Amino acid sequence: MYSTQIPVKIVRSWPWIAIIASILVIAFTPLPLKASQPVARTVRVEARSFEFSPSVIHVEQGQQVTIELIATDVVHGIYVDGYGHEIIANPGQTATLTFIADKSGSFRLRCSVTCGALHPFMIGKLNVGVNLLFYRAIGLSVLAGLAGFMLFRPRNEQ
Amino acid sequence: MGLILGLFATVVGARWLDRHKVIEIHARMPENGGWTPADLSVKVGQPLRLRLVSDDVTHGFAVGQTAWEALDLYPGKPVETTLIFDRPGKYVFYCTRWCGINHWRMRGVIEVYGDASTMQNSDTTTPESPLYRRLAIDLDAPHDAFVIPESQPIARKNIALNVRLPAKYLLRDYYLATAPSSAWQSLREEPSLASLSDQQIWHLVASLWRRQTSQNELKEGEKLYRTNCAACHGETGAGDGVMARWLAASAATEAPDAEHSQPSNQHTPGETVIIGHSTVVPTDFTNPHTMLGASPALLQGKIIRGGMGTGMPYWGPIFTEEQTWALVAYLWTFQFDYSQVETNE
Amino acid sequence: MQQLKLMRIELTRYSIIRSLMLSRWPQFILTSLALTGFLLAILTGWFGTPVGSRNFSIIFVWIAWWAILMLIAVPFFGRGWCSICPIPAPGEWLQRGALLQPNGKGGLSLGKRWPNKFRNIWLQNGAFLLVALFSIIVLTQPRFTAVVLTAFLSIAVATSLIFERRAFCRYLCPVGGFIGLYSQLAPIELRVKDAAICASHKTKDCYNGNLRGYGCPWQVFPGGLTKNTHCGLCMECLRTCTEDNILVQTRPFAQDLILPGGRRLDEAYKAFIMLGSALVYMSVLLGPWGSLKSAAYQIGSAPWFAYVAAFLVFVLAVVPGLFSVAVLIGRRLAGLRYNARRSVINFAYALIPLGLAAWIAFSLSFVFANLTYLAPALSDPFGWGWDLIGAAGVGWSPLFTETVPLMQIAILTIGLFGSISIVRRIAAEGVSKTAALYQSIPISLFCVGATILILTLLIA
Ligand code: SF4
Ligand code: SF4
Ligand SMILES: [Cu+2]
Repeated sequence: MYSTQIPVKIVRSWPWIAIIASILVIAFTPLPLKASQPVARTVRVEARSFEFSPSVIHVEQGQQVTIELIATDVVHGIYVDGYGHEIIANPGQTATLTFIADKSGSFRLRCSVTCGALHPFMIGKLNVGVNLLFYRAIGLSVLAGLAGFMLFRPRNEQ
Repeated sequence: MGLILGLFATVVGARWLDRHKVIEIHARMPENGGWTPADLSVKVGQPLRLRLVSDDVTHGFAVGQTAWEALDLYPGKPVETTLIFDRPGKYVFYCTRWCGINHWRMRGVIEVYGDASTMQNSDTTTPESPLYRRLAIDLDAPHDAFVIPESQPIARKNIALNVRLPAKYLLRDYYLATAPSSAWQSLREEPSLASLSDQQIWHLVASLWRRQTSQNELKEGEKLYRTNCAACHGETGAGDGVMARWLAASAATEAPDAEHSQPSNQHTPGETVIIGHSTVVPTDFTNPHTMLGASPALLQGKIIRGGMGTGMPYWGPIFTEEQTWALVAYLWTFQFDYSQVETNE
Repeated sequence: MQQLKLMRIELTRYSIIRSLMLSRWPQFILTSLALTGFLLAILTGWFGTPVGSRNFSIIFVWIAWWAILMLIAVPFFGRGWCSICPIPAPGEWLQRGALLQPNGKGGLSLGKRWPNKFRNIWLQNGAFLLVALFSIIVLTQPRFTAVVLTAFLSIAVATSLIFERRAFCRYLCPVGGFIGLYSQLAPIELRVKDAAICASHKTKDCYNGNLRGYGCPWQVFPGGLTKNTHCGLCMECLRTCTEDNILVQTRPFAQDLILPGGRRLDEAYKAFIMLGSALVYMSVLLGPWGSLKSAAYQIGSAPWFAYVAAFLVFVLAVVPGLFSVAVLIGRRLAGLRYNARRSVINFAYALIPLGLAAWIAFSLSFVFANLTYLAPALSDPFGWGWDLIGAAGVGWSPLFTETVPLMQIAILTIGLFGSISIVRRIAAEGVSKTAALYQSIPISLFCVGATILILTLLIA
């Protein structure tokens, strides 16, 4: 009634070529982003157990970003995923981190100093420019869904 | 399984024996118990072996009035240290890394007792009472300056050479006991300075104040201020530190409501956090009205005695005399511009 | 069965693999090692430092074990973990009165039959939710991990002593519940070679046991096995079968999900609960919302009760509700009239691949971010200042922070592909091609929506 093998003839048909081509396109096209003028940007981030505020920071790609970390209860830190930068702040002693946000995407900010039970889940986000990866991921998964939808369509053959 | 249990028994046994030699002190946020144990005693000259470990957040360990380096206590990472006291007395050990609004309450006592001979010694070396007591200053009386400068006074090097200044203004004791506004008043009345403008007299006051300290002392004061005071009084001295919100909140409401009594997520639910019953907003050191009416002795007194329930800790058992004076010297930088002296000192 | 020859390799045909499976030693050794780890975790949990990241219990259970379970064992070996799980082991040893081979004397158990009323996985669903509601504390505080492990172990022993076979694993264990659900995806299965032989076999040694092995501990009759869900891969039937009628073989993924029969409401709900709680965990633990974390953490407080209510409503009503709406829209579009409840149950099985993908993606996030805690936890399991392997000083640094999102995207893509494939297969059961197409569309869109939501939580 339906086939679980992947007969060669299906793969040959045009929708498959289209899907595979789109997968490649979505996954690998280098999209040239407009090189924005790197204007310096300073963000004041307050840390308390177990959150950063603001918890999500948006910056432009290529911008020089300064994070001022203010610990409001106990010692906290920030580790920036993807960039690997780290700073630690004591209450009363603001720590600053300056770097060029040259990679675009969404990067988690993690507290880097054990600050109580939920410390491993004290997480914020640094969003730099356009999160291409996210859009690629949506495109890819929708295509994969489409592929599943087509590959396993009921067939009338016996 | 039996093997594991046996192994465990040995391990626990070994630890138990070890405990007789080493005292294990757990550090927790004050709401959750502070130091446990918080009372220790040891004989003069005998080693006090400690294993210190934090059970929640970053803490630090130091003994007041001593020169021992503070130890950082990171959660779950025990640190060992051995202390030997050469003088009897009550020593206060305290947390050196901010661990919440009640951080300063995280203190314990080491009772160091001596044998008969050292006891007698100790009686003869009682420290003199602090200057504010000897001068009979009422720390709680208002101390508003009756005159303030138009703009920030600037200290200049060698200013005393340009003007003929009676010698008493250069004395240490004069500085310690005098509020800047009083000094300004006396200087204004000096006939030899009649040619100076009011603001120039203020510059002169700033210069005299600067003469009583040194670059090194200011550095030391700044370090102490940043680690101990800035969390409440603010990094710029404006009284707006990160902890100030809790003090202000509890000052506004006599009985702190649920939200205000829980400044952190660390403690177990249902527990109340004591901040203080009559806490006040931390002093703004950039405010000339209050600062210029205060003498160094008064400021030192407040540091030593604390705010008696206002939320200001008492630093008497912690800071040495030199440290308190360094801190006071640094506080004047929120009023006076010392930068011109520092660049060519 | 003949049409499914693809990817099928009969492992029991290879004498080395077969003898490893027949021998009791490999399992016994692995179980003992795992038991040692769990007992140590209980001890460190009770007596070690309360700082989770420096305590062996938290790191061993929630980083090491969880990673092995979710990233390797469940996706590739289904219930493989159950065959070496230490939790039921002490109880089973007592119940059998033997550590290895049956000694013919019998053990300590009262051997009661499990009540018929509870012969389903509703208790497991409940147990999972119960642990889930406290999970933020269990996940981060050694004492609570110790409480949970101690409770598991003692309930497992008690259950073995009162009831016959592995009643704990089959009906109570919250972990066993979802391993069973996801084992239907595994590319490995244990089956009989020829059901006809079983039908005519009088003694049914596989179920009743003999001197070579125990009767199926999981209360499964191998002759009727069609799905992996309740087979613990303990290999007893391979040992006991007198007719050499048992085989273990590889197979394509997700084969059990396309079998039309045997779909049940309790398992459908398990699928909803797992997908729903993965979403909740991603939001609470990995999201940037601090108030959500405190609400989940402050057990007994008003925000916690709100969190509990929201959690339960989301998992038990919102997810199944939205999914049912999708199924019913499809049913209307397709003009089908069959039992609506039955079709919701059937299609719920299509959420299994996506659900497992979501759990893997979620686990990838925190496992690699915290993997470096493993070294000091092994060196200083109690946080007492030991340094057994000289790694107590190793600091924390998150690993693969740039690769993890790529892995998550890959696994979610595969999961969505799997789920939609299963939707199509289930939709085709006994209806016309066109009806199947219309029926599939809204459910597939539901799966796409869920995937986008997960991607948003994890990588946006
Ligand atoms: S013992 Fe073997 S042949 Fe007999 S019923 Fe069980 S699996 Fe089938
Ligand atoms: S069917 Fe066989 S392998 Fe599966 S649980 Fe039962 S006895 Fe064990
Ligand atoms: Cu933190």
